[in-house]
Amino acid sequence: MAKFMDPHDVPTIPGTEGWERMYPYQYQFTKDDPERAAYESNQIWYYDGLHYPTPHHPFDLLWDEFWYLGLSQYNTRHWIIPPAMGIDHRIVNGYVYISPVGVANPEEIPNRVPHFMERAGYYFQNWNDLYENNWKKKMTKIIEELEALNFSDLPEMEDISVVKNGLGKGSGYELLKKYDDLIDLGLQCWQYHFEFLNLSYAVQVTYFQTFDQLFPGIPMATLTKMSAGFDPILFKPDAELIRLAKLAIELGVDQLVLKPMKADELLKTMAEDAVGKKWLEEFEKARYPWFHISTGTGWFHTDQSWNTNLNIPIENIRTNINALKAGKTLGRPTEQIVAERDKISSEYRNLLKADADREAFDQSLGLARLVLPYAEDHNFYVEHWFHTLFWAKVRQVGKILANAGFFEDSEDIWFLRRDEIKQALWDLCTGWATGVKPRGPSYWPKEIEWRKGVYEKFKEWTPPAALGTPPEVVTEPFTIVLWGVTTNVLDTWLKGSEAGEGGGDPNTIQGSPGSSGIVQGRARVLKSIDELADLKEGEILVATTTSPSWAPSFVKIAGAITDVGGPMCHAAIVCREYGLPTVVGTGKGTQLIKTGDLVWMDGDTGVVKILERA
Amino acid sequence: MVPKEERLTIWYDEMDGNDFNFVGKKNANLGEMMKAGIPVSPGFAVTIHCMDKFTADTGIKEKLSKLITTSGEVSFEVAKPASDEAIRLIQTTEMPDDIRNDIVSNYRKLCEKCGVENVPVAVRSSGAVSMPGQMETYLNIRGEKDLSDYIRLCWTSAYNVEAIMYRMNKNIPFLFNIGVGIPKMVNSRVSGVIFTINPINGDPSKISIDASYGLGEAVVSGFVTPDTYLIDKIVMEPVKTVIGSKEVMCVYKEGGSDIVQVPVPEEKRGVACLTRQEMLELARIGKLIEDYYGKPYDIEFGIDADMPFPSNVIILQVRPESVWSKKEVTAKTEAKKDPMDRLLGTLLTGVRLK
Repeated sequence: MAKFMDPHDVPTIPGTEGWERMYPYQYQFTKDDPERAAYESNQIWYYDGLHYPTPHHPFDLLWDEFWYLGLSQYNTRHWIIPPAMGIDHRIVNGYVYISPVGVANPEEIPNRVPHFMERAGYYFQNWNDLYENNWKKKMTKIIEELEALNFSDLPEMEDISVVKNGLGKGSGYELLKKYDDLIDLGLQCWQYHFEFLNLSYAVQVTYFQTFDQLFPGIPMATLTKMSAGFDPILFKPDAELIRLAKLAIELGVDQLVLKPMKADELLKTMAEDAVGKKWLEEFEKARYPWFHISTGTGWFHTDQSWNTNLNIPIENIRTNINALKAGKTLGRPTEQIVAERDKISSEYRNLLKADADREAFDQSLGLARLVLPYAEDHNFYVEHWFHTLFWAKVRQVGKILANAGFFEDSEDIWFLRRDEIKQALWDLCTGWATGVKPRGPSYWPKEIEWRKGVYEKFKEWTPPAALGTPPEVVTEPFTIVLWGVTTNVLDTWLKGSEAGEGGGDPNTIQGSPGSSGIVQGRARVLKSIDELADLKEGEILVATTTSPSWAPSFVKIAGAITDVGGPMCHAAIVCREYGLPTVVGTGKGTQLIKTGDLVWMDGDTGVVKILERA
Repeated sequence: MVPKEERLTIWYDEMDGNDFNFVGKKNANLGEMMKAGIPVSPGFAVTIHCMDKFTADTGIKEKLSKLITTSGEVSFEVAKPASDEAIRLIQTTEMPDDIRNDIVSNYRKLCEKCGVENVPVAVRSSGAVSMPGQMETYLNIRGEKDLSDYIRLCWTSAYNVEAIMYRMNKNIPFLFNIGVGIPKMVNSRVSGVIFTINPINGDPSKISIDASYGLGEAVVSGFVTPDTYLIDKIVMEPVKTVIGSKEVMCVYKEGGSDIVQVPVPEEKRGVACLTRQEMLELARIGKLIEDYYGKPYDIEFGIDADMPFPSNVIILQVRPESVWSKKEVTAKTEAKKDPMDRLLGTLLTGVRLK
């Protein structure tokens, strides 16, 4: 197989020289150690467009570092996955590239097997107990700790209680400590994120490959249908909005809710209404935690949640009220989904004639059903609930630094690395302690302005799909399932790199199959969640990603196209649940397609064609 | 209502497999398929009783009965002149009005049903006992006059030399009546073959459809590369579509039954010849046929340009699948002692890149 561009040869974008300091030093491709340089050249590095449609703000890279550590450590040090080590990370012009690492000496693989069997075996045997009674408790605990963390400006003088209680510690110390706690909670959260995930993906590889041997070409949608059927947490927020819509009708306040008012106005009106108050109580109950659902992936500080923009859930409640009044049935028909799951599973099984095949069927489907609840639900705890709270806490820190003149705007905090924020807080605290102006206000605004300029240049750059040298075999489960790296995918990347930018047919876009079906319609490109209300019946939604929080809109659209995601990504899972033809991971769909274009899409092959420009 | 044994014509959708004594085997099979929900081309049968009534009412039955009076085995020298005379008698005797009217009124109803004036039909013999020489089929017959002429021509096949010798050798009497089938000619916009398994690898969870423009000969004889549609049989979702080159198609020569090849217009070659709706309907019918007969089937179909969906989807011929059905059952997966062992096996194999 041909090679991609050597990672050391990627040119720096003019005017961004020195960009490396925005990110951790170990993320750079360098030639200063010949051994490391040779390793880098001989690995395949692919751009993680699945998670990151845009270049990284320095602060937001923390999740990437956390999963770099968590995912890799579970493969290599916890489970001892026999043939696979971790996933390595680098950053090029603001874009994250990743690379699966194999076990260097194949003779070591058999020695790793007994360890793997013992360790993974223990988790599989005790899966439900470890997940339900251990994992969920740990996650809830760190979320509670996160909620309790609050940041405020340093006081002019310490409160008298500090003295009288003999506390012996000051507010400067508290601020530094709380910032450390904040980052530490984030890191813990991402440790837990992977506690079951590597094994879940190993199971999914087994499930997909076994079923593809039994029924070559079996649609992905069918595989998820057969392993689904429980009540995923990710659907809970949507269910709450349906409940609130029904309640409004029941209480007779539906007309009130439907009045075209902004969220804050509506909530005030409801509070003043005797019956409205009752509805409001339920609304408030639903908010925690269910409105902590992100309208994006939750990976970026720019992602809003329902709680940070209440107009979104309220607009959805209105849509639900109108649908209910028009006699539509809303919600996820769990019983029906379970019945269909059992029906199609037994139909497939009945086609198998050999005992060995039936056993393979039972073993791999059994495993898939065991792990699926975790595989789907952990996202709500981590990327939605935890992240939503986390971003809000970092914003509190941003305000403190902005108030102290370090930033022109509290949102500038995203242009600092997380360790630089700690440094800035030290600067602030020592200045506060000594009664001297800190250096920050003269240092950071200039640096941030430069970084903003660099970031804009990064945005205009198109990262190559892959760099380096493809291996003969991929054994790393995430690389196979989540990113779907196969010969075909590599071929597509190679074609792309040969054609260069703008090569090939500009009206044909190749993505990954998300949810089956071929449809044609006018495109509606959504740049922000606020534009959801503009969606019209029969349109094809084009967005960076979709989230379960968009579900109420799914009933009216004909299909969905996203920039990021693989066949197992959340958007794909949700769209399959709604039977909505979907193509994911197009990379630049939102840039190439314009609202009003006539678009044809095939959810089975991942091909999108622009038939007619608006 | 006239009892079935006295009727002169019976529609396909009124009969079933047990009616072969009234309409002949071929007709009864079509009736049986229709009853099972398998869409065959619409039409009707001219009953065995009708041929009997024709010979009796016109007085030729008497004459026929005198042509060979012995029973049991006959020689060619005896059979040949009797055959010649019987054929002459049937062909030169006008159809009585009541018989003609019955047939013609059915034909008019068929024209109406299909929305085609003087709809082309096939005229096919259908005996209650299968015998050689009785395989007559006349294609593309149009109009009331031709229809009654060809029905009489078809009747003559009961008195072919081979037929006479064959049946008398089996101790069946010389006097013999057959049924005739009158199905609408399928005006195939598209035709092809359905396999109720994937013929490439024997996968029983798929239905495979090969389809191309025009008559089925192009696909069956393999002188075009057809479109291939692979559909998951359980969830009934298309899995894979490969568009074939489809450069030529077979059509009937104007007004006749000869088949000629003509080029497919350039703009129709690169696109799917079946609509998604038609493809899924064909898959549904394929599954129905497999379930009905309880084994994989190989099915010829046509999409009739004269009719609206879904009545345009017509099954022409069915037969049991013969390749994979005969193979011994072998496991496609490796045996593993437990789920962990299977998981380990997958991890160690990985995904091979070329």
